[in-house]
Amino acid sequence: MTAPPADDRLPVVIIACKVMETLLAHLVPPGLAREIRYLDYGLHRVPAKLTWSVQEAIDAVEEPSLIVLGYGLCGNGLNGIQAGQHTLLIPRVDDCIAILLGSRRRYVEEFEREPGTYYLSKGWLESGSHPLKEYQEYAEKYGPEDAEWLMDTQYQHYERLVLVTHNEEDLETYRPQAEEVAAFCRRWGMRYEEIVGSDAYVRRLVEVAAALDRADDAFVVVPPGGVIRQDQFI
Amino acid sequence: MSTIYEELATVVIEGDSKQASALVQQGLAEGLTAKEILDNGLIVGMGEVGARFKRGDMFVPEVLMSAEAMQAGLQVLRPLLASSGAKLIGKVVLGTVKGDLHDIGKNLVGMMCEGSGFEVIDLGFNVPPERFVDAVKEHKPDVVGLSALLTTTMRAMGYTIKALEEAGLRESVKVMVGGAPVDAEFAQRIGADGYGSNAVAGQELAQQLVGAA
Repeated sequence: MTAPPADDRLPVVIIACKVMETLLAHLVPPGLAREIRYLDYGLHRVPAKLTWSVQEAIDAVEEPSLIVLGYGLCGNGLNGIQAGQHTLLIPRVDDCIAILLGSRRRYVEEFEREPGTYYLSKGWLESGSHPLKEYQEYAEKYGPEDAEWLMDTQYQHYERLVLVTHNEEDLETYRPQAEEVAAFCRRWGMRYEEIVGSDAYVRRLVEVAAALDRADDAFVVVPPGGVIRQDQFI
Repeated sequence: MSTIYEELATVVIEGDSKQASALVQQGLAEGLTAKEILDNGLIVGMGEVGARFKRGDMFVPEVLMSAEAMQAGLQVLRPLLASSGAKLIGKVVLGTVKGDLHDIGKNLVGMMCEGSGFEVIDLGFNVPPERFVDAVKEHKPDVVGLSALLTTTMRAMGYTIKALEEAGLRESVKVMVGGAPVDAEFAQRIGADGYGSNAVAGQELAQQLVGAA
């Protein structure tokens, strides 16, 4: 048995998608987290794998901790995850787009204004989760003709492609890649736009991690023994 | 037992349209009925496709190709099913809910329901609650099927059910829901009558809901 920390607070461990890496690196003050662990992005393409990877990372933390999950519900990838001996803190969002936009409300507004939007984030670009990469993979696997048909079937209803970053710098960095994807997506009449969100959500997340009683409805808190459930997010 | 059913299920899983159509012809030549071929071959294959997709052992492109193979087989069977004098077992109104433009799953459910003897009225995608309400008034279906791919849009399923309630139509139809983020618990929470985890499960549910299973 180790003695509890003098100030009675749980040690903080951060387990996050790589998409959050630069944001967290800037915003997590030294000394806040005992450990920060980034998991591969692109796990969102297979939510079941995400569940498994995150659960494994949680279970590997030996001491009862406040574990901050740098994820959203992510296509139900977090649904069913068990806190075990830990307390979990999670942004109450569907996915990283809301985090990059700075708030869940902003995401909902964007969504309502233009449902036919395909969002690109730095993480999705780097992990190859975008239509151009998908086409290339399909073409290699199934031949160009089937690849065209598969892509049309999946994307023909989209109207807009939006690159979302949390600052101007990332926008400059990822624009060339996003524009390549945009050029490809023009076949479905999709237009290209850019949105600079903010780091407000992650700033708040870090604040709440340091003082859990400040968690409001922008966050989900799961006590030890609890389970992450979809309805906490919906 | 004929293994042609197994072969047929396999080519559906593999997404081989040419073989699917050829095997259906072969089955008919061997004296099997259209209904037998559909139920024991094509639908079994699609059922396995759904299960594998759910487990992450199959991905969207493979599912789409399987659906094409199923469609190819169904195309041969359709005139025979129609002329066999089998009565329509019910009417289904289908749509992907407001804000969501993903229609692959919904189209699959439509195809499966049609194959099993339903009249299917497909409202398309991004369908607002009012349009479901209007469609129920106009077509008087037995079942309304709501689809969504995203957690961001699944909320609209609840709004749609509410709209049916407010229009006084909820009691007149059964509502089933499906799509990647949906589960039985969610279905229950929003007051749906059932949930289908894949296209075949959706079709079986529709049959149950009209008492034809």
